[in-house]
Amino acid sequence: MIFKSLLGLCLFVGLVSHSYAQDPQDILVRMDALMSAPSDWIATVEMTITNRKGVEKNHEATLKQIGSGYRLYRYTKPENKAGIASLSLPDGDMWLFMPSFGKAIRINLLSKSQALTGTDFSYEDMSGIPYSQRYAATFENALNDSEYLLNLLPKSNKTSYSRILLSVDRKNGYPIQMAFYDKSGVYFKKAIYKYAKKGKYWYAEEVTMTDLTRDHSTTVYIKEIRFDNGLSKEEFTVDMLKNGSGNK
Amino acid sequence: MSDRFGNFSKKLINLKWVVILATAVITVFFGYHASRLTINADILESLPDSDRNAQLLKEIGVDFGGNSIGIIILETGNVYDTGAIKHINDLTDSVGKIEGIASVSSITNIINIKGDENGIEVGKLIDSYDLPDSQDDFDRLRADIANNPLYRGSVVSEDETSALIIFYLQEGADVKSVANAVIEKTASLDLPESIYYAGSPLLVSYISDLIRNDLVKLLPIAFIVIALILFLSFRSWAGVVLPLATSVIAIIWTLGSISLSGYNMTMISNNIPIILLAVGSAYAIHVVNKINLERSSNRPEPVASGLKAVTTPVILAGITTAIGFVSFIFGAYLDMIVEFGLFTSLGTLYACVLALTLVPAMLSLQPEPPRQSRQTEQPKTGLLEKGISKIASLTIRSPKKMLLFWLLIIITGVIGISSIKRSVNIQEYFRPGNPARKAEQIMIDKFGGTNPVFLLFKGDILNPAVLRAMEAASDYMEASPDINATLSVADLIAELNYAITGSRSIPEDPEQIQQLWFFLEGNETLEKMVNQDLTQAIVISKFKSPDNQSKQVFADYMAAYLSKNESPDYQIEITGMPFVDITMDQSLINSQIGSIFIALACIIIVIGLILKSMRFGLLATIPIVAAIAILFGIMGLAGISLNIATVLVASVALGIGIDYSIHIITHFNRLRTSCATMESVVSQSILTSGRAIIINFVSVSSGFLVLVFSDMIPLVYFGVLIAVSMISSGLAALTLLPSVLLVMNKRES
Repeated sequence: MIFKSLLGLCLFVGLVSHSYAQDPQDILVRMDALMSAPSDWIATVEMTITNRKGVEKNHEATLKQIGSGYRLYRYTKPENKAGIASLSLPDGDMWLFMPSFGKAIRINLLSKSQALTGTDFSYEDMSGIPYSQRYAATFENALNDSEYLLNLLPKSNKTSYSRILLSVDRKNGYPIQMAFYDKSGVYFKKAIYKYAKKGKYWYAEEVTMTDLTRDHSTTVYIKEIRFDNGLSKEEFTVDMLKNGSGNK
Repeated sequence: MSDRFGNFSKKLINLKWVVILATAVITVFFGYHASRLTINADILESLPDSDRNAQLLKEIGVDFGGNSIGIIILETGNVYDTGAIKHINDLTDSVGKIEGIASVSSITNIINIKGDENGIEVGKLIDSYDLPDSQDDFDRLRADIANNPLYRGSVVSEDETSALIIFYLQEGADVKSVANAVIEKTASLDLPESIYYAGSPLLVSYISDLIRNDLVKLLPIAFIVIALILFLSFRSWAGVVLPLATSVIAIIWTLGSISLSGYNMTMISNNIPIILLAVGSAYAIHVVNKINLERSSNRPEPVASGLKAVTTPVILAGITTAIGFVSFIFGAYLDMIVEFGLFTSLGTLYACVLALTLVPAMLSLQPEPPRQSRQTEQPKTGLLEKGISKIASLTIRSPKKMLLFWLLIIITGVIGISSIKRSVNIQEYFRPGNPARKAEQIMIDKFGGTNPVFLLFKGDILNPAVLRAMEAASDYMEASPDINATLSVADLIAELNYAITGSRSIPEDPEQIQQLWFFLEGNETLEKMVNQDLTQAIVISKFKSPDNQSKQVFADYMAAYLSKNESPDYQIEITGMPFVDITMDQSLINSQIGSIFIALACIIIVIGLILKSMRFGLLATIPIVAAIAILFGIMGLAGISLNIATVLVASVALGIGIDYSIHIITHFNRLRTSCATMESVVSQSILTSGRAIIINFVSVSSGFLVLVFSDMIPLVYFGVLIAVSMISSGLAALTLLPSVLLVMNKRES
């Protein structure tokens, strides 16, 4: 009886200590897995861009994605942007379709630190490459009961950031907040995530990225999201980009 | 009036300790506020809203993220080198983080769009996180810049030896602290390349530092020189300390008043201390001199009687000098010149009050020396007195010859006036070899200058007609020999269209423009070219020549274009520093002529009213008219241009020159009832006032000549011209005015 009790106590202590001594890189891997869990998804994206004077601009688009490598994004609002579409393929291959020119244009991004057309997200932020592949995580001291605080240091110097301070929800493993530091160590950008669960998947239903130096922010709302639609890679081609059949 | 002054003198001496204590308390009070005085080196803030060019320039500053442009020039053997590119990147990053800077652009962060058979490339010219390090990388970069009309010769010089890091100040940013932070930050990087600074914020800040350093270095020397001459003249502590103390206290009170009124020090008000040193000491010199004369004449109560005799001329001198400075308010273009006029005028009145209160109060503390000692102290056989006697006898003996002599001098001066040049060229502020001058020269030779020019378009900016009009106006501007390049949103759209379609033009289809805009939207560069709701956009350019004539030619050239290119789709306006310079240049003449005439008229009226004779009012202005003719004649003949610094000299000449005349005229007025002949009236007037006048102009001129060692050319000229003005107005008051008085009153004599 005593032996059983001791064994039970040891197991309990072991479990508890395991949960606190979890490897920070594992937490990051788990977060990446959560973010790319659905095989594919289709959603409506609403975007509000707010400048330092408080002036807002609103965009709306449909989004189709397989994993993190294939993404088709087609504007529906405002009217003067309706029909403009972008296609992202693995290895940074990116195409843009502008209906009034009637052709798809290949975009070669010379700098990934550049902002995505008018937003506060850089191409690097939207690359879709898992964080665990790009960053090495360590624990920050400040821990609380509901969040892990991780310090992410880039594995390569080809990044805009010198580090990211990441808060991860302990229970579910999704990101809560990211603080981005530039190459000279200045905290200059932050992202705040609101995750929601639909079916078996967690997804960011709202993300706000704020550029602290420009006092400029972009909030993305994901709506009408549908997972596991059986999308095939054939739907992510330049022809599909041009003929508009990528819509819904 | 003289009885009233007699009572005032006696009361003041009785209350000497109250006067001294009150002066000390007031000085501590103003000194405290003077210590909190801040410097505002932003010349743009001083531009008047009544001028459309200045107003538009300010509006563009607000709407397009600051038109106050600072430039760091990095000069090296060849910019296309990994080390140099890294240093430019470091500078760009560091400067961009300084508070008060809206944005920075350089070769390492500007947007680049180019097209080829594989599609288009969008991004920065250089990926700041993957800097070029091979010959291929540099060749590609070189080709990208050479092929892009937006950047050719604007971020890297065509000889590849210099690169620019251009920063824009936020509206309302503290120019001085931003400029200091930029210089400190750059210095902290300890770069091996040569670094120069150009552009208005850095230049103006540098100039105010130079002026301040000069004042700190040269003012004490000037002070010592003046003190030495005062000592040689008076041979007493009172003769040295009291005039200098009066000036210093007046300076403290004035600086305290500026601070209390909520104003800042500016490039112009930096000159107030040296001007008050000249003006302020004069009143005390006359008071000390007169009281000394009373003592040497064994008069009872010499302080009271001396003060009584000198009060009228000192008050008159104070009021007329103050009028000279206040006259700047009328016709001055820059607000900072108006502020300068007001506060220098106030400082003059402070000095006048101190000379009539503190100086006699201090002198009355001195025990009256015994009779014997008084006689030995009489300085009547000194060199100075011999000189004054010589001047008096020469004037009395041949007044007509003296008049002829002055007439010839004045005619020569008037001839010289026609050769006066005006200049608002900031390069002329520095000695050859000065880094600021070199920076301006690099900017002119390699980057098309630093003076911003803006064409403002109002309308639907994404309308093809508006964009094409911007393109056409840019082409027209670039045809001017003083415009190297222009930049506008039309260029970016044409460039992007070229990348996609191969045609470097504005698309006909408005939808195509909308979709090209999608590509550009959100780029920081756009905030400097187009407003948020796309109703206003600017064409940005720089004007090369510092020459006023070229600026006027360009203004006419653009006016002709604007008048022919009106459209219901848009309105075009033009502004920029060359346009402000043209108005400022014209205002130099207007304010100079206006302020001189207004001051002369006021002075004639004031003297006329106080001495109850308009004739005396008119006569008193003769020496200063002569001095001003000499001043401008020398400026014209010596090629010294009229600029925002030298424009101040005439007012000082007028302010001080009139004092000398007033002393001669008031003594003449007082003595003509008591002397037998007109010759003796004139002679006594010269002998009574001559000593103080000569001591004043010799001491202050010597002090100001120290400024020839200044690093700032305007200060050098300022020192020389003030010395010339003081000597000429002093000599004119001692010889020309008495000659006129003699000839006019010949019958009486």
